[in-house]
Amino acid sequence: MKILIIEDERDLMDNILAYFSAGDFVCESASSKAEALDKLGGFNYDVVILDIMLPDGNGLQILNHIRNENPDTGVLIISAKNALDDRLRGLDLGADDYLTKPFHLSELNARIRAIFRRRKLQGQTVLQYNEIAIHTSNHEVLVNDASLELTLKEYELLLFFVTNKNRVLTKQAIAEHLWGDNVDYLQNFDFVYQHIKNLRKKIMANDGKDYIKTIYGLGYKFTDK
Amino acid sequence: MRLLTKTTLWYLVFALIMFTIGGLIAMSMVRTVVNRETDYELQQTLREIRNAAAFENGLDIFNERNSVSIRAFPKGQVIQPDTILKDTFIYLKRTQRVEGFRKLITNTQLEDQFYHIEISEIIIEEGDIISVVSWIIIRLFLFLTAALLIGNFLISKNLFRPFEHLLKSLDKFRIKNNEPLSTMETKTQEFQRLNQFAEEMTNKARLDYQNLKEFSENASHEMQTPIAIAQGKLELLLESPQLTEEQLSLVHTTQQSIHKISRLGQSLTLLTKIENEEFSAKQPVNFSDIVASNVQNFKELGQMQGISMEDKLAAGIELQIDPILADILVTNLLKNALQHNIEEGWVKVRLTEEYLEVINSGEPPKLPTDQLFQRFKKNNQSKGTLGLGLAIVKKICELNGCEVDYSYAEERHRLRVTFSH
Repeated sequence: MKILIIEDERDLMDNILAYFSAGDFVCESASSKAEALDKLGGFNYDVVILDIMLPDGNGLQILNHIRNENPDTGVLIISAKNALDDRLRGLDLGADDYLTKPFHLSELNARIRAIFRRRKLQGQTVLQYNEIAIHTSNHEVLVNDASLELTLKEYELLLFFVTNKNRVLTKQAIAEHLWGDNVDYLQNFDFVYQHIKNLRKKIMANDGKDYIKTIYGLGYKFTDK
Repeated sequence: MRLLTKTTLWYLVFALIMFTIGGLIAMSMVRTVVNRETDYELQQTLREIRNAAAFENGLDIFNERNSVSIRAFPKGQVIQPDTILKDTFIYLKRTQRVEGFRKLITNTQLEDQFYHIEISEIIIEEGDIISVVSWIIIRLFLFLTAALLIGNFLISKNLFRPFEHLLKSLDKFRIKNNEPLSTMETKTQEFQRLNQFAEEMTNKARLDYQNLKEFSENASHEMQTPIAIAQGKLELLLESPQLTEEQLSLVHTTQQSIHKISRLGQSLTLLTKIENEEFSAKQPVNFSDIVASNVQNFKELGQMQGISMEDKLAAGIELQIDPILADILVTNLLKNALQHNIEEGWVKVRLTEEYLEVINSGEPPKLPTDQLFQRFKKNNQSKGTLGLGLAIVKKICELNGCEVDYSYAEERHRLRVTFSH
């Protein structure tokens, strides 16, 4: 998967690049509107991560350009503005998703992969992790070729784990991924454990391995190492 | 009452008093002049009598007059001469009325004989003077009143026009519209100063408002980006394989604090935006739907905390409110109810035509209840809440004419938002 990151904050770009460097992405970056348009003209990207507040022009113009010139490219907007009109305008112009700063890199990763699956593979994709196969088109999960009965939240949790495999996921990142901004009033996210426990139990009932490692006091990591 | 009407009324009252006093003075002056003139007439008649006495039978023509009586003292009798002037009343047959007279009575020597002479002269009646003077005064007063009314009309039409114009544009002035105040050219010094002052004040207010607005937008942007960077770095740090448990915990705590700063910034920005009335797209909103969907979301979160949520919602309740604010209002109320709850607690949400009520189990409030809606007043310092949720609720209610009140009884907190429709 080929990604273009358009972001004027060097440090934020470095974060994203560093996080994605461990995955199967090819990442390129642009820090200005001119550079972005230049790269968009020369290469095809699967997904563009776009900061709508750029020093040399509004990112929405770049979005417009992408929609006209590269209709197959997925676009995820990141912005510090949570002004709702920007969000709506962004989505109207054809952005696939919108993320407000600050965000978890794991969340960014999950969103980008979701865009990629929807756009490039028309939803037809199977995420394979050893004996676990996730069919994102119909939300079906197979473990050792046997179907797994999961609630919607458990399914989303497993998908989040697999897309962020081998990474530390804090309980908060998990909670925000599953329940959105509404969890911000909570001081502890221990209830996430309930869902982890259920998911783990269901996988192991199908003779799957327990890949969910607990990192004490912090969160979880989905790994076979 | 208009300024001009008021000054006119005062002026008229003042004029009325002055005219009354003036009338009294005029009357007494007329009286004095008339008396002096009458006395002069009487003395003149007496002089004529003296002159006539030199001739034979010269006094006879005077005796024929009703107004003169001349009586001679016996010849050789010597009388001490004296003269008095007095007012008196005499019945007049001609007019069949008693009339006021001025009388000169004198004992005097004419040629070689002493005489007693009485001369009377009719004087103008008091009533006549009064009626004439008041006739003049009243007409003058009426004339003045008419002149004032016409004058006022002209003044308000011309002189006061810049002032009226300023009042109208101040009335229409809206800080949000960012349009300068319209004033009218004037040569009147006071109005020039007033216009200048109003212009300066409104320009300052507009500028301050714009600055504040921009600041709240920029604050959000400028703050969230470094926060996003810091959070990302910490997330990357978590990936390092050689971190000890203690170090992980340090990173985690830092993450939480950063998260809190971010929320604080967002909430304060939101509060400022609400105060600046940036969410003013009031429209009919199906409030029942908003409450229902939020209750649905929070029910699940509540369950995971072991808090049950019950609801009794009337369908089809419509409010005139910005939909974004409606959503924030409900979200904040529900979050508040879940946050300040106890283990195995409960929340009850009730929506009727008149009010939205959220009741939850919980410990007694430690704050005076009237402080609960103030910023950063927290009931429970340890829970790490921001103390802005209810301040936001209050602000939204104020902006939409709703009432919010809080009460606590029998281990239950009740927050009720009463609608204004």
